[in-house]
Amino acid sequence: MSLGHSSAAKFGPFLVFSAGLLVLIGCGGSGGSNPGGGSTPVDNTQALQVNLGPANNSTNEAFVAVTVCVPGSSSCQTIENVEVDTGSEGLRVLSSQISLSLPAIADTSGNALEECVSFADTSYVWGPVVSADVQMAGEKATSVPIQIISASPKFPVPSNCISGAGAADVNTVAALGANGILGLGVFQQDCVFACTSASPQVPDVYYLCPNSVCRVSTVPLGSQLQNPVWFFPQDNNGVVISLPSVPADGVASVSRSLIFGIGTQSDNALGSAQVYTTDNAGNFQTTYHGIAYSQSYIDSGSNGLYILDASTLGITDCSDFAGFYCPASPVDFTATNTGLNGVKADVSFSIANADALFAANGGRNAAFDDLGGDNPQTVDWGLPFFYGRKVFVGIEGQLAPTGVTGPYWAY
Amino acid sequence: MKTILAVLVGFILGTTPAWAVLGEHERSVSSDRQYLRGEIRAIARDGYSLQQITTKDGAVVNEYVSPAGLVFAISWQGPTMPNLQQLLGSYFAQFQQASRSRTRRRGPLVVRTDHLVLESGGHMRAFHGRACVPDLLPDNISAEVVR
Repeated sequence: MSLGHSSAAKFGPFLVFSAGLLVLIGCGGSGGSNPGGGSTPVDNTQALQVNLGPANNSTNEAFVAVTVCVPGSSSCQTIENVEVDTGSEGLRVLSSQISLSLPAIADTSGNALEECVSFADTSYVWGPVVSADVQMAGEKATSVPIQIISASPKFPVPSNCISGAGAADVNTVAALGANGILGLGVFQQDCVFACTSASPQVPDVYYLCPNSVCRVSTVPLGSQLQNPVWFFPQDNNGVVISLPSVPADGVASVSRSLIFGIGTQSDNALGSAQVYTTDNAGNFQTTYHGIAYSQSYIDSGSNGLYILDASTLGITDCSDFAGFYCPASPVDFTATNTGLNGVKADVSFSIANADALFAANGGRNAAFDDLGGDNPQTVDWGLPFFYGRKVFVGIEGQLAPTGVTGPYWAY
Repeated sequence: MKTILAVLVGFILGTTPAWAVLGEHERSVSSDRQYLRGEIRAIARDGYSLQQITTKDGAVVNEYVSPAGLVFAISWQGPTMPNLQQLLGSYFAQFQQASRSRTRRRGPLVVRTDHLVLESGGHMRAFHGRACVPDLLPDNISAEVVR
């Protein structure tokens, strides 16, 4: 089904969101939060933890608590152990972890909007898009489209959604290793123009469900899943992820902060961090041994340093834990990151034997800064990159204090 | 990329373009007439040919065709994940089985079976990947040509 140009007009309730979006765009153009302005600063810091997680099986996953409310009400619920993922946009919560009844986003005929999201590892989630107020620390995003994973048996997963993916539906705490995913990447929406237009082809992402059969549909920007941070009235130009260093063998847990805003309060100044702007796809360039890999990125939702391949790095793959590196002893490397803005600096990192890391401390460690695996032709700076750093995630279209507009990374 | 596109002589396959499926004959394009409607260009390369499909939203799918007319590899890049069953055809089942047997790793996917090598990476709004059937590689062509 293709709703074509008429779709926007059909989506009555969506227009409300679209209007809200326009207001926010107006704010965003000026940086939104008025850095240094006269308003009273709100608490912008949420505790961030890396540990084995709610299923006792997580490796290098960073968790926060997120409070979700029925829009405009005090009917709220706090969801613990939601994974912070800079490789996606939007809040997704497992239906088993939420008891609130949140208003569905639907078209004017009452057809529910649902989403099938495929991740890079070819796993996927399916479920309705609903509206919620999203709160963390003293920050509140009002009426944000979020997804409830596997909410309704009324709308089974469409065959396109299942068949398009390789890996499994990650619809349980055990499979997800978390109670939900908080997508805080460099973008405002999760699909943007690929999903707003019926031409040339609507991707199999958003669906309308007039009955038990759901069909692919276009969806206006304002009803797509949103990075909730840019919906905040202040501190809305990005986030800072701050995690302490970890020892070489890893550690069972570490904690520090997810800070909202960049250069908007005393605790989120760029300081000596360098800004690396990205291309439109959110990527920058990583160079290793003279070869440039232009589709490189930083992703807190990846649990390792997924870098090139064993022969390029001169180390060995693990024989049992497929996809990880197992050098006999830790090996040090240096690569160079270059932003679209030409800013360039070396990154030093180490890769240790994954078998040894997973066995250390009786297998109870969850945070490792030297866990690596293969990812030919690209560098994915996963969560190990974040330890011992403050990493700034600059949201597209939002102004940084230095005058740079997102998307960018800084560290 | 712009230079390449400007230099190449492109052609458009009417209103029902599609692409061939991995491991099948180039003529198998009729297996998909609804997905990724875009501009198709045929690009001659040394020892193989490339069919490149570009859509308006910026997705690109390349299919690598051997002199015998078989699709020996594919690659993709775009804002959303492609439908892998459509791309992989008869290789999808073994890919699906292999992709579900991993432990602990969360991140880009690399699958190597006896008959298929597949990599899928990137992040929301920028996915990329490639798949190759080593058995079908033309003479003197390495899997490294698949980008």
